[in-house]
Amino acid sequence: MKPKGLFYKAGFLSAAVFSCAVLSVGMRPTTASAIEIPKEVTEEGKNVYKKYCSACHGEEGAGDGPVSRSMIPKPRNFTRGAYKFRTTPSGSLPTDEDIYKTISYGVPNSTMIPWDILTEEQRASVVPVLKSFSEAFEFREPDAPVAIGLPLRPTERTILEGKKIYEEKLECWKCHGVEGRGDGPSAGEQEDDFGFPIKPFDFTTGKFKGGNSPSDVYLRFTTGLNGTPMPSFAKELSDEERWYLTHYVMSLVQSEECSKE
Amino acid sequence: MIRTVSLCIFVLFFCCDILYSKELVTEDAYTVIDVSDGGSITGHVTCTGDAGAPSLDMYAGWELSKPSQVVSEKIVINRLNNGVRNAVVSLSNIEKGKKGVVPSVHPVIDQQMGIFLPRVTAILAGTTIDLLNGDEELHNVHTKSVRNQPFNFGMSYKQRISKDFDYPETVKLSCDIHKEYAWIVVFSNPYFDVTDRSGYFEICDIPEGTYELRVWHEELGKQEKEVIIQARKRENIAFVYE
Repeated sequence: MKPKGLFYKAGFLSAAVFSCAVLSVGMRPTTASAIEIPKEVTEEGKNVYKKYCSACHGEEGAGDGPVSRSMIPKPRNFTRGAYKFRTTPSGSLPTDEDIYKTISYGVPNSTMIPWDILTEEQRASVVPVLKSFSEAFEFREPDAPVAIGLPLRPTERTILEGKKIYEEKLECWKCHGVEGRGDGPSAGEQEDDFGFPIKPFDFTTGKFKGGNSPSDVYLRFTTGLNGTPMPSFAKELSDEERWYLTHYVMSLVQSEECSKE
Repeated sequence: MIRTVSLCIFVLFFCCDILYSKELVTEDAYTVIDVSDGGSITGHVTCTGDAGAPSLDMYAGWELSKPSQVVSEKIVINRLNNGVRNAVVSLSNIEKGKKGVVPSVHPVIDQQMGIFLPRVTAILAGTTIDLLNGDEELHNVHTKSVRNQPFNFGMSYKQRISKDFDYPETVKLSCDIHKEYAWIVVFSNPYFDVTDRSGYFEICDIPEGTYELRVWHEELGKQEKEVIIQARKRENIAFVYE
């Protein structure tokens, strides 16, 4: 056999193996590049959960810890697999990174603090513990995260278009109020999937629960908030329209000096 | 030759990946057999309570004009024979029987004048349901399920959303804006029925044996009865809610 032929054959084989490897990596659910989130429940995870989370979220993750009674909004009940802040479509389970992000950044306007006092490894170790509380993770896989695309630049026109959607097309004011203060006519009677009363969000506070960047707010319209009455408008609004609405609700934020007056 | 081997390796890895990413979840034990001379069950679900005054689920309707306000009824009782509408009757412990057919025409749940029509839908696992909005205002469709993927979508006038229900479960479908709801009951076998306006139900082609016949109503609750099915015989069963 010619040395050149051998070279070609080796080339083919290595190309095949390489493409397989690329595909294998590509088809796995994407994990955070910076931090490795364990797949199985570890002792460390159990200990961290028991020490830092169970007081509010309960030993079995049912949101019924001893401190939970005095809290509004109530700590999340993990047994149904309903997570509010996700990058996945409406109803889907969250990705591991979504859970990790909520633990790390916390939820403003609630008692959930950013758990940056824990190390990254400790935060990551809690993720499989939370997932183990719900049988939903045995039946379903999280859907692929939604594509955000290129954000639109906010202008007066986009804010005006967003206002039209807010007031006429979707009638968001029915729950969130005309001025976005969360005091619409349907606001008082809303409850979450667990039967607890829930207040529509007050946009004027500016502390968006899922994150303050425009793409975070855009994601809330696209994915909805699982376990709450807030639906997804992915089928209802085009990509551009969701950006318009994002710009409008962000324009409702009032600076602290204004709200003091 | 080497190219073929490379291609084979490639295809093998590819298949493994697909299998890995989409694990097939096996369904609970129901085996399909050929039922040629099965028996059947017919009967009525009745309520002996005060049939003249069914409890009403008043629709808030703060926004609709007066004539279009409707009342949706949690309990609908026929005044002639006290038959209860929208009760779901099923064989709870059947392990083998006829093959269930998933309808190619999707069952429809429409929102008209703020209420869901029909209020109760029973389907076989794997069925796709079409959700519609027939009102000129925004509704939402919100399910709270664990096994089937829940969803919550805004629905504008004439919008249609198709959703699959793959696992047996009782799913509550609600519109949070108008505080209305409906029920979707998913079964793993085809032996179920929803009572009509006179409370009548029928279930056919059941293999011989002893079964538990169950009835469920959203307000009146559950009842169970044992039935013995004989070949080519019709059993008449009456469920009575006190």
